[in-house]
Amino acid sequence: MKCLTPSLLRRFWRLLPQYVSAGPSQSPNLSPKQSSLRQSCSARPGLLTAPDVVSYWQKVFEKNGIPEARESSEYIVSFVLGAKTFQSLDSEKLHAPLTAAQQEQIQQLSCKRLERMPVQYVLGEWDFQDLTLKMRPPVFIPRPETEDLVSLVVEEESRKCGVKNSAFPVAVPPPVILEIGCGSGAIALSLLRKIPQSRVLAVDKEEAAVDLTRENIHRLQLQDRIHVLHHNVSYGSAKHLLPWGPMDFIVSNPPYVFHEDMASLDAEILRYEDLDALDGGDDGMRVIKTILTLAPSLLKDSGSVFLEVDPRHPGMVEDWLRAHPDLLLTLHAVHKDFCGKPRFLHIQKQSK
Amino acid sequence: MSVPSLFTFTLILRQRRAAIWGPWAQRTQRLSLSWGPLLWAAGKRSSLDLVELSETELKEQFVRGDGPGGQATNKTSNCVVLKHVPSGIVVKCHQTRSVEKNRQIAREILQEKVDLFYKGEDSDVYREKKASEKKKQEKKRRAKENLERKKHLKEMLQLDRK
Repeated sequence: MKCLTPSLLRRFWRLLPQYVSAGPSQSPNLSPKQSSLRQSCSARPGLLTAPDVVSYWQKVFEKNGIPEARESSEYIVSFVLGAKTFQSLDSEKLHAPLTAAQQEQIQQLSCKRLERMPVQYVLGEWDFQDLTLKMRPPVFIPRPETEDLVSLVVEEESRKCGVKNSAFPVAVPPPVILEIGCGSGAIALSLLRKIPQSRVLAVDKEEAAVDLTRENIHRLQLQDRIHVLHHNVSYGSAKHLLPWGPMDFIVSNPPYVFHEDMASLDAEILRYEDLDALDGGDDGMRVIKTILTLAPSLLKDSGSVFLEVDPRHPGMVEDWLRAHPDLLLTLHAVHKDFCGKPRFLHIQKQSK
Repeated sequence: MSVPSLFTFTLILRQRRAAIWGPWAQRTQRLSLSWGPLLWAAGKRSSLDLVELSETELKEQFVRGDGPGGQATNKTSNCVVLKHVPSGIVVKCHQTRSVEKNRQIAREILQEKVDLFYKGEDSDVYREKKASEKKKQEKKRRAKENLERKKHLKEMLQLDRK
């Protein structure tokens, strides 16, 4: 396991004059590489700006085989300077020398990254659509593809609303949404924000996820319309969830990685994230099947299930649904993610 | 279960459900939302009359890699590179940590650039920029005038005292 070696640490401290000891030892013995790094500093010699520090840590990460060396460095430095990304830093912050406290904070965060900790856990937060959410290991970090899952649900709700309003100009009940496997609360909270009046029931089998979702709910002051339940849908019937139903939507980003693929995942994932949030069993379908089995008893007629899946799953799910006609569920549509991979399934409950 | 007791049971169930959702359980009219992931045209700059971009003319690139994506990857590079094929204009956006937001912002910036490219000085973007530059200059001129007036007044007062 690679980490910040003492020699690297010494080299870093030497670049910061305020840390040079006022003792008999004089100007540090810099190697040609180090002195050129100092000379390339845009501010006065010894003073470091954001680009200098990004560049320094990028090199450290690269030397230690840390993936996304530049991006990681940029996110950490931007975070310490109060910005989301390096590109969004204003000109003033870009050219100002960093304070000792800021450099210290950057160093602390970078040391965590050197342990292959995902950037989202290093910073303790990450963004999902318009929300900034708290992140904490081992709760699953929302992936960017999942932003489109939320948009699909919002679109479908809007379409249904339009149809209903044109046919019956009468007040309709607010949509009830169940999220299975809420993790940090990304999907549930996004839906709450984007569909006014909606009611969300978020469940997760892990207490850590339930706690984190509740923290994020309170941070965003969205507690009125959402309830979080510590519950494992794999055990038993839907009876624990029935009091909140029937639902208009069931949404989930269930564990869908094929078990044989788990070992080849990046160290960032294997070392820090809850593997139960990823491992979908031999065919990646274990939790998908559980959700689809539960769905008919929880959904309203013409209610929908929206799932994020592995690109190999659409055909497999269609076959499975055909083999279980008693569920009265049909694969209505398959949607691609922003990389063009089949990623989202829209399954509908047939109305009797 | 007899009919009356079934009815009571359903009533209790509904009341319990209402209690769970609290005071927000009243039936209210739903608001319809028109924004969806494919409707990029409705953006911040709807006040300006800009050339509309069709998704078929755009080419998008993400630094997501060739891997399986989704859960199997945890990459943080959310940079979006968007190209308007007919004009060749390219926009790179990494303003936020959300891919969806970066896509939206990239389209807004690209729309302005494309409008400027095709319409030149007739573009609302150009006109708005000129108007704001003019305002800035006006402000500077007025501030300078004020400063001179105050200086003059001060000099006059000093002369009076002598």
